[in-house]
Amino acid sequence: MRPPAPRPPAASSSSSYSQCEPRPENPLLLLPSCRAAKLSLGCPLLDRLLSGGLPAASVTEIAGESASGKTQLCLQLALLAPQSPLSASALFLHSDLPFPLHRLRGLAPKSRPDILDHVLVAAAHSPTDLLSLLSRAQRLLANPGRSPHRLPIRLILLDSIATLFRADFDASPADLKRRSALFFQISAKLKELAYRHHCVVVVTNQVVDVVEGDAGNTVAWSSGRRVSPALGIAWANCVNTRLFLTREVDGASGIARRRMKVAFAPHLPERACEFVIRRDGVFGVEPAGEVGAPVLG
Amino acid sequence: MSYTGSAPASSSLYWKGMESSGDPHPPILAGAQNAWDMLSDEQSQKHITTGSGDLNNILGGGIHCKEVTEIGGVPGVGKTQLGIQLAINVQIPVEYGGLGGKAVYIDTEGSFMVERVYQIAEGCISDILEHFPHSHGKSSSGQKQLQPEHFLADIYYFRICSYTEQIAAINYLEKFLGEHKDVRIVIIDSVTFHFRQDFDDLALRTRVLSGLSLKLMKIAKAFNLAVVLLNQVTTKFTEGSFQLTLALGDSWSHSCTNRLILYWNGNDRYAYLDKSPSLPVASAPYAVTGKGVRDAASSNHKRVRVT
Repeated sequence: MRPPAPRPPAASSSSSYSQCEPRPENPLLLLPSCRAAKLSLGCPLLDRLLSGGLPAASVTEIAGESASGKTQLCLQLALLAPQSPLSASALFLHSDLPFPLHRLRGLAPKSRPDILDHVLVAAAHSPTDLLSLLSRAQRLLANPGRSPHRLPIRLILLDSIATLFRADFDASPADLKRRSALFFQISAKLKELAYRHHCVVVVTNQVVDVVEGDAGNTVAWSSGRRVSPALGIAWANCVNTRLFLTREVDGASGIARRRMKVAFAPHLPERACEFVIRRDGVFGVEPAGEVGAPVLG
Repeated sequence: MSYTGSAPASSSLYWKGMESSGDPHPPILAGAQNAWDMLSDEQSQKHITTGSGDLNNILGGGIHCKEVTEIGGVPGVGKTQLGIQLAINVQIPVEYGGLGGKAVYIDTEGSFMVERVYQIAEGCISDILEHFPHSHGKSSSGQKQLQPEHFLADIYYFRICSYTEQIAAINYLEKFLGEHKDVRIVIIDSVTFHFRQDFDDLALRTRVLSGLSLKLMKIAKAFNLAVVLLNQVTTKFTEGSFQLTLALGDSWSHSCTNRLILYWNGNDRYAYLDKSPSLPVASAPYAVTGKGVRDAASSNHKRVRVT
């Protein structure tokens, strides 16, 4: 058995980039940009949880049940990106319809009406739809144009990945295989954009109830249910960092305690921070819950 | 059954010592070595420490050079952490019991976070200084300075965004390693990711992968270095139920010398040596701490984990 030539015919994924001899990078030279190019969540407590914010050049998943604050966080990030040191536009890909325009406007600072100019919105209705949107985004990122009013896109938000796969797939082995191939295609494209153009990529995910076992996937308690992020372990392999938003309702007072947990991340220990959703956004609160021993995932 | 194909001694034949006359005979195969030489070679070889003594024990001292070791596990169990740890530990200077080599890290998934590499390097250095308390501040000329910056700079980092790039990088390795003889470990994190996309022709995928694994085995032997392949876990549908298994299928499972599976046991991380030509199947607990991969601490060490 001979290995085939280094370039099989179906080299579609990165054909727009020149393929020369691979060149190694020196991690030491990547260190300053890795530390500086984090996107703040606009709250010191949440930023502390994430060691400064969301990292660029990797994919962060925010999983949680409905009304756990996922979309709110995405909107907040989209508005923070132009004002942050990244000074970037956000590309907001949404599959949940309609786009929450009024909430976006409500969150936008009154003093900066121009911020909304830097949020680009596109709807994706299916996995193939999303892939073609991402190829178009790739061209846009590669040729940002010269307009001084348009900040370069450095933040890509996808809300949510689970909605895209709600229909058209059975639980048969063949369909699951087709589905996971699409996960890996979408993830590879997102990671490529993240790496080549130094973008922060955020993908939201829904949760499913766990009946028995956990099949290797993250499990958490939320609203009295035992839940896992949707799309199974195949999708869990596709993200670099997983944040889990959970909610516990206190029986006596009826007050919901929300927590953001780092389920796994290559650069963060497993730990959590309590947060609240206010009219003006998502904010961490003290006491920040129990902060675990520094254990990484 | 699967062990025979990858046993390191299987391809070497040598007449010397097997003949009663005692006459020196030329080797019947060019480049062949007798088993005695191989054994003494192996015993003089240093292994790359994983950072955890328990883990080193089940691996027979650590990760072995000249061999391909596959490490698999679910997301978040610590594959990348172990990969980064090995890229740092291979650089422990010879005078501190290490190999003093460099590392090649091929990142296909984007989980190589430089800030974390820096932390692990700092953790490694602080442990070295703890074990060798008299060496504080000592840095004679020619000796590698114990600075995290030096550890970072001695990792050759390749970021791969497609399977074509992955194939190209592995084909290029031979040339690269010929020019960088001080590299003692090649880590691919993960070997799987780009091969789980739309690969319609599964026969082609199998051919490409076995070509890659042959090449990696050859590189491990030729350059006397360790190859570590990180693999993902997938669910496999067998006999009416879904079970966890390593990705890339059955033919791939023959392509490494050693296989280590990382798994959760309740809230504790364990490693299980699933395949080895010379060592018994065994498992051991380990921990991922702020400093990197270490022995699991005793029971009073309380951790919080998503459950």
